[in-house]
Amino acid sequence: MTAKRLRQALESAAIPILATILGLLVSSVIVLFARADPMQTYEHLFCEGFGPKGCQTFGNLLFMDVKTDNGTQTVFSLFYGAQGHALGVTLERATILILAALSATVAFKAGLFSIGMDGQLVLGAITAAFLGYALPDLIYGLAGISQPQAAPGALQTVMHLVVPALCIGAAMLVGAFYSWIAGYLKVKLNVNELISTIVLNAIAVQLVGYLINFPLRSDFNNIARTRRIDDTAWLVPFNRGLFLNSEWFSGSRVGIGIILALLAALVIWFFLWRTTAGYEQRMASGSRLFARFGGIPNERAALRAMLISGALSGLAGAIQILGVERRVVDGFAGAGLGFDGVLVAILAKESIGGILVVAVFFAGLQQGAINLQFANLPRQLGGIIIALIILFSSMENFFRTNLARIQARLRPPQRAVDAAAEGVAAAGGGAT
Amino acid sequence: MPLAVEMRHIRKYFLSSNVLACDDVNFSVREGEIHALVGENGAGKTTLMNILYGLIAPDEGEILIHERPAHITHPNDAIRLGIGMVHQHFKLVPSFTIAENIMLGMEPDEWGFINGASEAEAVRKLAADFGLPVNPNARVRDLSVGMQQRVEILKALQRNARVLILDEPTAVLTPQEVHELYTVIRKLAADGRTVILITHKLLEVKDVADRVSVMRRGQMIGTHNVSDVSIRDMANMMVGREVILQVEKQPAQPGAVVLKVENLLVAGAGGIPAVFGVSLEVRAGEILGIAGVSGNGQTELIEAIAGLRPIDGGHVVLLDKDITHASVRARRETGMAHIPEDRLVMGLNLNTNLDENVVVTHYMRPPYSRRGIFNFLPMRKLAQQIIDAFQIRSARVGEEIKTLSGGNLQKVVLGRELEGKPKFIIANQPTRGLDVGSIEFVHKTLIEERDAGAAILLVSVELDEILSLSDRIAVMFGGRIMGVLDIKDANEQDIGILMAGGSLEHAPAKVATP
Amino acid sequence: MIKFLNKHSRRLRHALLIGGPLVGLLLFLVLPERLVQGGIRLATPYILGALAALIASRAGVLNLAIEGKMLLGAFIGVVVLYKTGLDPVVGVMAAVIMGGLLGLVFAILYLRIRINLIILALALNLFVANATVFFLRVSFGAFGTLADPSIHSLPILTIPIISGIPILAERLSGYNAIVYLSWFMVLFMWLLLYRTRFGRHVRAVGENREAAETVGINVTLVQTFALTLSGMLAGLAGSFLSLGVLSQFLENMTAGRGWIAITVSLFALEQPVGAFFTALFFGFSEALSLGLQNTGDTKLSPALVALVLALPQIATIGALVLVALRIRAAELLKRRNFAAQFGQELANLRRGVVVGGQD
Repeated sequence: MTAKRLRQALESAAIPILATILGLLVSSVIVLFARADPMQTYEHLFCEGFGPKGCQTFGNLLFMDVKTDNGTQTVFSLFYGAQGHALGVTLERATILILAALSATVAFKAGLFSIGMDGQLVLGAITAAFLGYALPDLIYGLAGISQPQAAPGALQTVMHLVVPALCIGAAMLVGAFYSWIAGYLKVKLNVNELISTIVLNAIAVQLVGYLINFPLRSDFNNIARTRRIDDTAWLVPFNRGLFLNSEWFSGSRVGIGIILALLAALVIWFFLWRTTAGYEQRMASGSRLFARFGGIPNERAALRAMLISGALSGLAGAIQILGVERRVVDGFAGAGLGFDGVLVAILAKESIGGILVVAVFFAGLQQGAINLQFANLPRQLGGIIIALIILFSSMENFFRTNLARIQARLRPPQRAVDAAAEGVAAAGGGAT
Repeated sequence: MPLAVEMRHIRKYFLSSNVLACDDVNFSVREGEIHALVGENGAGKTTLMNILYGLIAPDEGEILIHERPAHITHPNDAIRLGIGMVHQHFKLVPSFTIAENIMLGMEPDEWGFINGASEAEAVRKLAADFGLPVNPNARVRDLSVGMQQRVEILKALQRNARVLILDEPTAVLTPQEVHELYTVIRKLAADGRTVILITHKLLEVKDVADRVSVMRRGQMIGTHNVSDVSIRDMANMMVGREVILQVEKQPAQPGAVVLKVENLLVAGAGGIPAVFGVSLEVRAGEILGIAGVSGNGQTELIEAIAGLRPIDGGHVVLLDKDITHASVRARRETGMAHIPEDRLVMGLNLNTNLDENVVVTHYMRPPYSRRGIFNFLPMRKLAQQIIDAFQIRSARVGEEIKTLSGGNLQKVVLGRELEGKPKFIIANQPTRGLDVGSIEFVHKTLIEERDAGAAILLVSVELDEILSLSDRIAVMFGGRIMGVLDIKDANEQDIGILMAGGSLEHAPAKVATP
Repeated sequence: MIKFLNKHSRRLRHALLIGGPLVGLLLFLVLPERLVQGGIRLATPYILGALAALIASRAGVLNLAIEGKMLLGAFIGVVVLYKTGLDPVVGVMAAVIMGGLLGLVFAILYLRIRINLIILALALNLFVANATVFFLRVSFGAFGTLADPSIHSLPILTIPIISGIPILAERLSGYNAIVYLSWFMVLFMWLLLYRTRFGRHVRAVGENREAAETVGINVTLVQTFALTLSGMLAGLAGSFLSLGVLSQFLENMTAGRGWIAITVSLFALEQPVGAFFTALFFGFSEALSLGLQNTGDTKLSPALVALVLALPQIATIGALVLVALRIRAAELLKRRNFAAQFGQELANLRRGVVVGGQD
């Protein structure tokens, strides 16, 4: 049973892997155009995205020689964290991708082509950012505390737990509601969800952009930004909190966010494949008629899917603010993080495991590209590679049909006649 | 008399659905005649005409137009040879005017600009010449169906069609419009043009055609003068005799009424009723078979009863519960099961595995799920039970089903539908596309259910199947029940007459027939 | 609610069609000239972008890559000028050509290779956004912006007669060529869609593809042309952003305008003239918001400003909802009529009454 599952997984991963290789190949042309060496560039790229500090070659991604006090030692790269491991930062980036991709997957699996993740994410982010300073202010105000640092330890601990939870909860509610709007329009009025989510995205992005620039603006630098969230709302990164002494996370702001993202992935997986609600949604996606025929309440399933999808996007935005950025800077809205999530979901063909792999891979590429200073290569190379991989990956149909065509031409024509003979025996179905 | 169209040894096999739509078909039409091409849905007549019109390429065969060989690969070729086709589903642009639709693709080239006024004038003249007056500036979406059809005909005439193919033209017309159409057809023929009429309505054939060709299962059965054949003969040729083993069964012991349909009115395409005042009853322990050529409202009737189509008038009562507006789930919970006519699209979800397919009607109940979370063991057990009980050989629990054969797929459907011991079973074309062994199995199963006390509503276009399984037979034509016969009084000829729209004195219809 | 809308929809529509432009005209004449000018300038990329969206949409292809094509146009315009130091017109033309090329590529990838429309659009947008910044750095050593004295912005044109008329002068004259070009493009698009053969084919393909196919129209060719034209318009819009106002290229300078242009097209139900007025509406709202914000006062409540800014989008959703409601209402009405009419006939038949018209 598992051997077959493995084979199936490999088969479905074949095309994305092929697409990745093709994408890298075409990108190497661009790299050459920039007068750099593709091989070196990619080595550096992958190292800076996935490897330990000091990584130089592809081989170093697995094992590396390090100088220690006792001479040279060969270490297993994944665990070697001196001065920080790139994966730490990559995981930080991957968090939001994973959540946005989950959001998209939940919607797609219900047969709804909603791309509203961006808008929901951004609204969730601003909600968390606002509550992140407003809520502690309120609590301190109510408790009459003017010096938060001097507040009793018990209160502080409680707030460290409660405030982020409330912020995240609020963000998820906002995201869910915003997504619900599109769902309601679709179910009751048959308004195409692709169009409504595009427009809703535009509304959200503009709204948040405005909010950052004016009402919530905290200082008057060149670039507008909101006030920083209070420390109690902050999702403390691992390297400042839990794993204070571990160097592996140094330089990275990854924290409980990634745990939440992984938990969410697990929950969603469980929801889709182990609950009746998830079942309803999956049946509604591939074969609407079948679902109706069997008595599945399609409308309810669709609305539920949109709510969950929106909540996930809201969560993504909240974690990004509470854990990484701690304020919303102008340009956050409109950076298209939600769309990136959609692309991850599509590339991962809506499999939860695939989402995790693809999200980390993309995040690593983007992260690795940032440090391509040595050849004067801009970090945008990461985005270029990703876009190309996606394009090649979605040529799947093209590859498949062409492969089939070549196969058919090679097969002897006798087969067709035999097939026809069988067809006569079974004929009786409709083919008018 | 010269032949306008001759098609020789046409062969067309569809790989995707594994069907031989045209099997060495020879078809010829004389110039100036009205020729009816008759057969059921799936007989291959539309495929044959699509080949003639260049929409489909034949695997083998040749075509001669006006006795000269023709190579038709695209509708443009057909149009150039003077062939025009009016499809069952109109190919008109709703927001365009009549003139724009007729002239589409034929606009005179004045630097790319179009002259609306001259087009309208040309169309007005064309319409008047053929005695089919229209208002060129009317928008197609505001027109009645009959008028839209007229536009389609004018479209073909504008392109100088000498051979006009009409695909099921009266399917969406009111009786008044049907008469008008006949007049048009006769006029065209008198004008020297050839009309090929694809239809399954045998009365029509008698009314307006000169000769008739009958197809069945991809084969051309025969061509005759309409004056030489009766409706019975045509019905026989169309429906034919198949090698189905007679089913061993005891006479029925019908009990209480399980399903009661009263005066049902259901809308079909184009605002015409598909079910017009149908009333029937099915008792426990009996099989009521609905016979009829497909396309006479059976599909809509079943959909209405099953809850997949809204009902616009009348009632459906199941086990004393009015389910006219109930949800599908409510109907199923009352005891209804449905074996659909399309197992691939409706009956099963081919993208997933056996277990998930089998559990769709009861997944929300224990033991399959508790409080919303699935319990896989009972699901697997159920799937295995079905596999064993129905001997679905190549199926395995937890595996994808899309590789299963038609027969096995139907067994999965049966297994699932019959699992809850339903009191009322709808069986819609239950043996379509199956091999002989599977057909036997399905029949045996249905009889078993009947003997166990279920009420079964069977719909089939295979007359033999109806005759061998049913205890009572109702015949549907044009959305009405033309007559109900007891099995001991039924014979093929009588049924054939009813199927073609005629009437029998000894089995009056429930609603006054036109 | 539904019945009300259905009954009055015709009148509502006429009211909007006449009232809208009338109100617009009034505002045009009465509002401060800075505002009007700002509005018209801001509206220009929306006009062109919306036209780009609608020509593709009418042909049956939802072009979601307008953002990317716009950005490409902006980029190419500046780059060409930087490299050649020629007249800004050359830059604009280059932008248009490149936009068209990208549109052609889009068409090939979608129609021949059959890549999913949404993936294609999002991936292209992603690619252009990254590639522009990449090449900016690699080829020109610039970090995120490219500005140079050799890049001239488009000259301001003054219209001879109108610049003499008092109120109209400041509002109608004194824009750069692309602004006036965008107005002509509206007319051009209207003519194209409704008065030429190609336009009719486009509309036929978009509305009923089979109808077009069975009369022998080459659907793929029509869609390819439409997408190429769409790309050209989007490229033009982009060049306006970089050469018309600023004379430099900024990273991600389109900032979502492509998506807003799609919204404009949807709101205007994909009609060119409607798109023109809708784009003006969007442009004016934006100008109004900016104007309100820049007064620096907190007299005006932030809520009002936010509302004004978001008004066009909210109006779009409202329009979509209204259209959907109308369709739903029409359906319900049809069902009710059907039940009434045929139910009556049935009842008559059962009573043995023969209704006139039966055969």
